[in-house]
Amino acid sequence: MSSLHNQHHDQFLRLFAEHEPALRAFTRLLLPAREDVAGVMQEVAVTLWQKFGEYDAARDFRKWGFGIVRFKVLAHVRDQARDRHVFDDELVNRLADDAMAMDQQHEAQREALDQCLQKLPEAQRQMVLAAYTKGTRMDELAAGRGQTAMSLYKMLQRIRQALLECVRRTISQEELT
Amino acid sequence: MNARWHEQIQRCMTGDATPEEIIALQQALKDDAQLRALYLDYLNLDAGLMAAAESMTIAGSETGRTAAATRPAARQPSHHWRWIAAAAACAALVALALLPAHRDASSASTDSSPRASSRVQPDFTATFASTQGAIAQLSIKPASPLPAWMSPTAALLDQPGLSQ
Repeated sequence: MSSLHNQHHDQFLRLFAEHEPALRAFTRLLLPAREDVAGVMQEVAVTLWQKFGEYDAARDFRKWGFGIVRFKVLAHVRDQARDRHVFDDELVNRLADDAMAMDQQHEAQREALDQCLQKLPEAQRQMVLAAYTKGTRMDELAAGRGQTAMSLYKMLQRIRQALLECVRRTISQEELT
Repeated sequence: MNARWHEQIQRCMTGDATPEEIIALQQALKDDAQLRALYLDYLNLDAGLMAAAESMTIAGSETGRTAAATRPAARQPSHHWRWIAAAAACAALVALALLPAHRDASSASTDSSPRASSRVQPDFTATFASTQGAIAQLSIKPASPLPAWMSPTAALLDQPGLSQ
């Protein structure tokens, strides 16, 4: 009994460790607010474990997990809708359908992002990664660089757009070769 | 694609959009599949940047995450973070192998309890906590601090000798 339980435990952790980055990214795609991702992912992780007894090993764990993410995001969005404007269920479901269809493409883009970050000038790479580091305050980052917060936001927007064009171009080139 | 949407999407994803802008974007996203693809690409980029910054933080944790992110010679994201994540995942699995043995030893007297299934949640919490500490330092936080023995990997990472 104990051995069987341990196997179950082990199997779950292996699958979760393998697919956690994709589940986290999928959660991000459905939630406009970055700061909501951690809380929803916590709910997702607990539910995945609680329902793991119902999981059919013949099924794709990632797709099964995506279903739970969708369910949790919808619950979160309904809860948040009382206090602030968020996307409605119809749009969340539509985004989830599209995101599932684009899963392989998005994974390839996240892989290509490494290369694209390397192509950025050192100062820009440092800045964008600093902006994404937890606990970073944008006004402090801007002040440290001798910039206004507004100019930093604008610069980050341009860098993100450049990175997006880079990853799209990289994927297209890889598809051609 | 209209340059305005690039800005609108980014304002929405950084939490700077006004309610009116969110409503306008929502309607446009419902109507336009191409715009939805652009929106999802941007949020996917955001997810990738969050992961890259977090990996860099782990790599530079010995000097503090903010310093690691802002110092001139900060580690480059390159492919190192993947190796770090893989090593951390292995450490978590080792932790997993150790946890049940420790638990069984410490709770041998209750193993025959008919409520064995009630142990499921603590098992998950403890193991997941160690996984969190190791695998890319997941931002999922356990509800309460765990004793060090329940989180061997996290305890290992916290050793002063390793943080120099």
